[in-house]
Amino acid sequence: MAHIAVVRRSMRPEEWTQLRFGWLKRHIYKKQYEIKTLQIRNARQVSEMEFVFDDEFVPLCKGDLYFTPDGTAFICGDLAIPEDFRQEELWLTLKTAAEIIVKVNGVYVGGVDPNRERVLLSPYLAPGTERLHFEMQGYNRSKPDDERNPESLSVRGCRQIFEGAYLSVVDHDVLDLVYDLELFLNIAGSELFSEDYRAFLNRELSRALDCIDFEDDGLPGLSDAKRYIEEKIYANTDYQGSGDVALLAHSHLDLAYYWRMDRYPEFKYTHTQAYTYETLETHYPEVFEELKARIAEGRFEPVGAMYVEPDCNIPSAESLVRQCLYGQLYFREKFGKTIQNCWLPDVFGNSWILPQILKKSGVDYFVSNKMSTWNDTNRFPHNNFIWRGIDGSEVYACVPPTHFITWNMPSQIQENWEAYQDKNVGGQTLSMFGYGDGGSGCTEEMLELMRRFSKVSVMPKTEHVGAQEFLERNLKDNRELAKWDGELYLEMHRGTFTTKAEIKKANRRLEYKLREAEIIATLRALGGAAYPADALKRCWKKLLVNQFHDILPGSHIAPVYRDAMADYAEIDRTLDEIIGTGSQYFNSLNFARTQLTFFENENGDSTRFGRKGYWCVPNLPALSHGEVRRSVGTSARWCVPGETVETPFYAIRFAPDGSMESLWDKTLGREWVAGAFNKLCVYEDKPGVYDAWDILPNYREKPVRVEVASPLTLAECSDEAATFEAELRVGQSTWIRRIRLFRLSRGIEVENVVDWREKHRLAKAEFTCNVLAREALCDLGAGFIRRETHRNTSWQQARFEVCHHKWCDLAETDGGIALINDCKYGVGFLENQISLSLLRATVRPDPTSDMGMHRFAYLILPHAGDAVDAQINRIALEYNVPIVKADVSCQNAFPGLFLQAMKLSEDGKMVVVRLAETEGHRGVLTLPKKVKLLNLLEDIEGEAEAVPYKPFEILTLGIPLQA
Amino acid sequence: MNIEQYVETAIRPRLQGDGGEVRFAEQKEDRLTLVFQGECSKCLILERCVAWIEQQIAHDLGEQVHIVAVRKKPYFWDV
Repeated sequence: MAHIAVVRRSMRPEEWTQLRFGWLKRHIYKKQYEIKTLQIRNARQVSEMEFVFDDEFVPLCKGDLYFTPDGTAFICGDLAIPEDFRQEELWLTLKTAAEIIVKVNGVYVGGVDPNRERVLLSPYLAPGTERLHFEMQGYNRSKPDDERNPESLSVRGCRQIFEGAYLSVVDHDVLDLVYDLELFLNIAGSELFSEDYRAFLNRELSRALDCIDFEDDGLPGLSDAKRYIEEKIYANTDYQGSGDVALLAHSHLDLAYYWRMDRYPEFKYTHTQAYTYETLETHYPEVFEELKARIAEGRFEPVGAMYVEPDCNIPSAESLVRQCLYGQLYFREKFGKTIQNCWLPDVFGNSWILPQILKKSGVDYFVSNKMSTWNDTNRFPHNNFIWRGIDGSEVYACVPPTHFITWNMPSQIQENWEAYQDKNVGGQTLSMFGYGDGGSGCTEEMLELMRRFSKVSVMPKTEHVGAQEFLERNLKDNRELAKWDGELYLEMHRGTFTTKAEIKKANRRLEYKLREAEIIATLRALGGAAYPADALKRCWKKLLVNQFHDILPGSHIAPVYRDAMADYAEIDRTLDEIIGTGSQYFNSLNFARTQLTFFENENGDSTRFGRKGYWCVPNLPALSHGEVRRSVGTSARWCVPGETVETPFYAIRFAPDGSMESLWDKTLGREWVAGAFNKLCVYEDKPGVYDAWDILPNYREKPVRVEVASPLTLAECSDEAATFEAELRVGQSTWIRRIRLFRLSRGIEVENVVDWREKHRLAKAEFTCNVLAREALCDLGAGFIRRETHRNTSWQQARFEVCHHKWCDLAETDGGIALINDCKYGVGFLENQISLSLLRATVRPDPTSDMGMHRFAYLILPHAGDAVDAQINRIALEYNVPIVKADVSCQNAFPGLFLQAMKLSEDGKMVVVRLAETEGHRGVLTLPKKVKLLNLLEDIEGEAEAVPYKPFEILTLGIPLQA
Repeated sequence: MNIEQYVETAIRPRLQGDGGEVRFAEQKEDRLTLVFQGECSKCLILERCVAWIEQQIAHDLGEQVHIVAVRKKPYFWDV
């Protein structure tokens, strides 16, 4: 006999409770008065607080459409407070999908948004106030992350229906009961809590609501229901939970992504990013003054020492230093505080160089949620732990077990406790609450629920904490914490090393140009010239803002890209003015420049990226200027084309597409090629909804055909360089590869000029090397990291694509191959293969991402010995650091270390010299006279004439200016 | 300025500001076909935005058009 499943068609008790809960919420407002005098004016923001208006003010009535695409709406209106409202506690109610800041009678009173439909007015109104003047400014919120809020999802879009604005009086008895029900219905619906307790709740909540007569608008029995819940549910202690969860109020604010940029005395709130405080100070000075008062009271806590929450994979070491320097200087100046924590909840992995930079910037604690909640392969094994950096510096670290955006529901708190892996040694676990990825923050509901948690027996013990309070109490001097020594690699978002190539290229170029400008300006200042401190700081801050973790990684919409490129152009112009010119070339590197370098000259005999010039060895000593003379050419034919191309260093057999079938090293007597080498490979790249962010581990499974439109031929041969050119076709795109061989250099340059018109494609240059190596070395900007090239465990399997800076290297004891790039960051290793990521073509969040022309180059450099023996980092610096004309020099070259920065101190009293040990050596820097030893904030910590350093250490020296 | 230029320079940047995208496809008399991508491609209330574009064209160019909206969803939303 067939079994027929019985489907329950009648209402279950919990559905009956939910239904009545909905009825109850309709009674939150005791009375409401519609504001019918509102007017609206639409505008579009064109820069900070600058708007272009579409029209004049027009009436805004219930049912009208309002807001326009990417538009800001200004709404105003006046209201005489009705007589029967004047003695009441008054609220403005406005249900909206937008984020609207509200000013009443000239005072900011708060805001409304999809998670907050009312704002309290009474505390801001003078006694006897009879009229209200409203001024509102709103930006419509049509961003995707509202998925967490189903109600706002249903109305998401650029044009909204105005649902009316009301002067309201809240019925606090109803609201109290609503919060009780919110709390217990969340527990009743969560499988994280005991089945028996949930059954108890379902039964008792229904009985509590039975007390109310919903047929009568006065809701008789309301107080009985409230009493029933107190006496039967809160008072019940038969069911006991466990755990200890610290609740921290925080709203994650993305500066740019899909946009451009006291009734609770116990409440403490945390907020990051000096830049946001600075912006508030500039545009909302009165709100900023109130904020300062709250900070002084200890109720609003600035967290995160950095200027913004930057990407922490791609920025250079000096950029990360400046994030801390300009962040901390701001917090010190405005609030008298040095922030002791780094707060990066949403950042896509963190470089191994970070602990040292933090420690030397007054930061002992690091917080980031990403590894625990987003890793796609391995469970990150700690939540409260010690993070050890590349140089051995240690900071306390907290990777909270759950997402940085929660709405403080009991189930979310319970989930956090259950996921917490350091229960026995780490003290409390951290749970952040507050809507984020935009605005909203913490709502009244979250705080009301928090007041009730201690009365609920099944919940973990909870405590509302401040950030520093939590970190010091649970991590400081905790000897039982585990230690993580290595980078904090995020097993997701691996595409962000490559997406939006032009942003990464501009960032790399300007990081080095800023270095150049500061060194030149400092040396000129020592000769008596004025130091352009303000202009340099403005350039740095613009660059730092654009290192935000949805800008530099490329995970943003088209207007953000345009804004960033405009900022880069402005930085470029300012730096050109600062650098100026001179009669001779200046070597800003603190070692002699000995690598073949291209000097633009319209009479030159060579071409690079379409510009004429000469290839010369500058032979400029460290930090000095001089003439650059062309080498005496050779009449001999140094490059012999043919089936095998012969140069003084190599015999190369090319394939028509510019890849190499053989690279025979004449000097070292070995073959470097063991398969596809310098092969342009293009793959279908469809990672799903996180399109700009991710690359999938199986991306190689669907290669895309690369056609040779014009096979490799010799295009140009000068005294120093021979350029071979091939034109390839990928779909609709043209890819010109120019392979450049040199008479005096072992490097082989590959110039790429690409007209990129693809969608869902990942382009890589792949190198199968005749090298037996289980580790690859990757430059981190201030030191290098060794990464396994095998796939033995899930940890190596997950790292199929990693971030590197100027170079990577695969070597045996006697020799290897370095790959030096001018703007690429993503790379993968598999046994003896290197695959350098070149371009992507993603469609979300920007359907136009990466379309257009790209020009970039990389250098293939086979070498003897390992990467350190071969001085690969120095060669990569010469490849990336521009050489400009400036008649300045410096006597001390600080040998053995890399001059990362030279500047005047922020107080203008010292020359600050920042030196990085990049090769893993230990030594002593001997100076001609005593210098001040500084931290990264330029505080004096001592003085010395001989300064010892350890592997990968960053030193900062201060040389006082003579009065 | 013709309608294609207007869509490209005046309308497109605004939709891009909300994560959307619009491209001109064709115009036959008063019938204007636009292709909507990005967030617009799955917008539940796109017709309101389309009406606004028609209003903007009428206001700025003095032309009455009827827009045919073609949604081009990326593969990951095409379910």
